[in-house]
Amino acid sequence: MTKITAGPSHTSRYTALDPVPGDVELLAKVRELIDDLSPDNAELLTAFHRIQQAYGYVPRETIPVIATKFRTTPAMLYGALDFYSEIRTVPPAETVVEWCSGPACLLKGSMNIRRVLESILGCEMSQNTDDGAFGLRLVQCDGTCHLAPLVRREGRYIGPLSVSDTIRLARELKGEGEPEPVPESGGLKAGEGQPAVESAAEQEGGGA
Amino acid sequence: MPTYEELRAQAEQARQPTPGPQRPLIKVGVTTCSRAVGAQETLDAVRKELADRGLEADVMVTGCWGLCYAEPIVEVAHLGRPAVLYGRLTADKVPQLIEGAVATDRVGVVPELALAVLADEPLEGVPPLSASGGLEFFAGQERRLMANCGVTDPDSIDQYISRGGYEGLAKALGMTDEQVINEVLESGLWGRGGAAFSTGRKWEFLRGANVTPKYMICNADEGDPGSFVNRNLMESDPHLIVEGMAIGGYATGASYGYIYIRDEYPLPVERMEAAIRQARERGLLGGDVLGSAQTGARPGGFAFDLEVVRGAGSYVCGEETGLIASIEDARGMPKIRPPFPAQAGVFDMPSNVNNVESYANVPLILREGAAWYASVGSENHKGTKMFSLSGQVQRVGILEVPLGTPMSDVVMGAGGGPPEGRALKAVQPGGPLSGIVPASDVGIALEPEPFKERGMFMGSGGLVVLDDSNCVVDLAIYFEWFAEDESCGRCTTCFAGTRRLLEILKRISSGRGRSSDPEIMRLLADTMSYANCVHGQAAPTVVMTMFSFFEEELNEHLYNKRCPAKVCRGMVRYEVVHHSDKLPAAEAICPTQAVVRENGSYRIDQGKCIKCDACREQAPYAIAVVDEFGPG
Ligand SMILES: Cc1cc2nc3c(=O)[nH]c(=O)nc-3n(C[C@H](O)[C@H](O)[C@H](O)COP(=O)(O)O)c2cc1C
Ligand code: SF4
Ligand code: SF4
Ligand code: FES
Ligand code: FES
Repeated sequence: MTKITAGPSHTSRYTALDPVPGDVELLAKVRELIDDLSPDNAELLTAFHRIQQAYGYVPRETIPVIATKFRTTPAMLYGALDFYSEIRTVPPAETVVEWCSGPACLLKGSMNIRRVLESILGCEMSQNTDDGAFGLRLVQCDGTCHLAPLVRREGRYIGPLSVSDTIRLARELKGEGEPEPVPESGGLKAGEGQPAVESAAEQEGGGA
Repeated sequence: MPTYEELRAQAEQARQPTPGPQRPLIKVGVTTCSRAVGAQETLDAVRKELADRGLEADVMVTGCWGLCYAEPIVEVAHLGRPAVLYGRLTADKVPQLIEGAVATDRVGVVPELALAVLADEPLEGVPPLSASGGLEFFAGQERRLMANCGVTDPDSIDQYISRGGYEGLAKALGMTDEQVINEVLESGLWGRGGAAFSTGRKWEFLRGANVTPKYMICNADEGDPGSFVNRNLMESDPHLIVEGMAIGGYATGASYGYIYIRDEYPLPVERMEAAIRQARERGLLGGDVLGSAQTGARPGGFAFDLEVVRGAGSYVCGEETGLIASIEDARGMPKIRPPFPAQAGVFDMPSNVNNVESYANVPLILREGAAWYASVGSENHKGTKMFSLSGQVQRVGILEVPLGTPMSDVVMGAGGGPPEGRALKAVQPGGPLSGIVPASDVGIALEPEPFKERGMFMGSGGLVVLDDSNCVVDLAIYFEWFAEDESCGRCTTCFAGTRRLLEILKRISSGRGRSSDPEIMRLLADTMSYANCVHGQAAPTVVMTMFSFFEEELNEHLYNKRCPAKVCRGMVRYEVVHHSDKLPAAEAICPTQAVVRENGSYRIDQGKCIKCDACREQAPYAIAVVDEFGPG
């Protein structure tokens, strides 16, 4: 049951840091959050996870605090932080929509969904709007492909989505009640290629 | 420390999950998949409905059967009658279920809601859940690794033990380490993480290392998009993995283990951690595993413990040296091998990395013996393999079949093939590095060689299905994007190579392909084969298999600037081709006001249109996708 005795090699490069300026309260809280962790146990990712759990991201100003705790340099630490896509260094938007980038979703039309989300919410994938109201987050497939194509919001899965559903969802999020002249299309999903006959009238009228 | 027999007796004594007289047993599967469609709400509703009606019943949480397409699933069992599985049982259907299956005297089946019956024969028209006919998704399945999935409570070590759990470990402790490895070698087990290397051989390497401490590492990064078999096992039967790792520790002399789970899998983290805690409480992990100090399994006894490490979102951390770097807190960059992990692994100590499913096979091999293990499978490959089926199939889910099973049995049989009216185009096995199998080869055996012969890999268990509405060039763009995005950046061949491949493919898909492009891509692939790790080496596989099997489709893009499936955005545009009473709806839905009404008719403003397909969803007869270049 021997646990690691040797610490990660980069700790040897550690030199003590000057006290860091910043939000004193935040830094104190972060110190407390990671107090029981130790560099010898390789618990840096745990530290990131805990901080992100508490604040929704890892505030940049906490990096020196974590570095001190783990006896490494902020540069080393930033290098590790930057490597992992699920650890974020900017605060999340007020409303975050997570978009699955996986293959099942792709084959079922996720690109169309992405396009309308970007267009209506007014931000690119992996960005927030300037006012921080909306954010789009690219996520990897977690194996809930029976709902493809899907988005997630506040842990809730929404799918399989048609493009029309997605547009309604995005408009609702934006608070744009949209005038709907006709009832919903009912079940036609994105990418379901074959044009369905819409009504007898138009079949006769529109054939030419 | 209790012995195995004492633990077993204790487990049998603990209340077993069986229905009692006048007391049905209700099981609700709660996993990532089923929670996504409301299993937690179903569970709450079942409890509430029973309480409101004052009905007696036991309610139990289980893992899942792998029937993703039919989640949430509720099982109702009455004493002396076969249990019935109910599918798509969302909370709103719970009152109907409880009324029909629990409240009425006749302890009946509710056929409208029923999915399958746990018996060999149909019951009131409900098909049996059996491998030899019945529910289609079960046809041909051989449930060994998944024997407990959907059946037991993943948080109950007693249920695991009472079904033979930890017997393999107990047996192993009565053998020498060499005997254990021989048993694993004899079974023929090879790694399920992608490389298909002999597990017994790997363990021999670690056993031969004479530096301590040694480590057992479980690769639960499952980064291949479209693979979710490891997740199912961790959520449904976590002790199987704990037991497999402990046996590995004993056989190789490792004293500590890490289970590295990807960040996208919070529930497996919870369930694995709970399993480790329980195993420790029962003396199945810790300083003296199963009282081995007294029984003399090894001088001083066998000590082994485990810890879960949560990843943070990086595909190359699934590569074993990247994973080790990530456990060590660094950037998870793959390193050059040798040294192999067995020589210098985590913290430079000898280590063994195996996939979740590889470890999960081990307790069964030890418990039932190598001969039993090898009783299913093909000529050259013994045992079973789990696959996750997704994409253009009617039934998405996870199944376990003997190695060598024709892929068509899984894709067309169990999965039901593509949706009504569409034709199978291809199957994309095992992740971004694996390639694309054309429909004409869908009958190949699920074992490594047929894939290798075609310049592909079988991979770790994902099977993503394409139909004729999908475009192969589009899929190749996705995989090269993924490879580029996830490249760790150590080798120029890899990060620049994937970037170039992506640029060229994107150019082709926008109608600006050049006749020199295929040659450049082949050259890039050749160069990339010299990258440091398999990520860079295999990143061009998808493009290469496109050359081999989808050349016509590629050439159509390249020379005629046409996407036959009308997926590549740069090659199509939306047009109003008929009049229809649905066009006002199309106008209303358009996110960019590109559907314009003029003099009573409609047209699409191409400058505004973002090609999102919503208008065509609304008015599929009136609006069509037409080729941008050349004749429609
Ligand atoms: C880029 C890359 C990603 C990988 N991802 C995984 C993974 O998610 N899970 C896994 O078990 N193996 C993965 N592997 C394979 C591992 O390097 C290693 O071969 C495997 O974990 C060994 O276990 P096994 O022998 O039990 O298959 C990956 C390999 C590469 C090159
Ligand atoms: S091949 Fe790619 S992923 Fe692998 S080490 Fe090189 S740059 Fe990193
Ligand atoms: S494809 Fe989308 S953006 Fe273009 S006209 Fe139709 S609804 Fe509007
Ligand atoms: S591809 Fe989106 S959930 Fe699997
Ligand atoms: S239902 Fe369990 S894996 Fe999908």
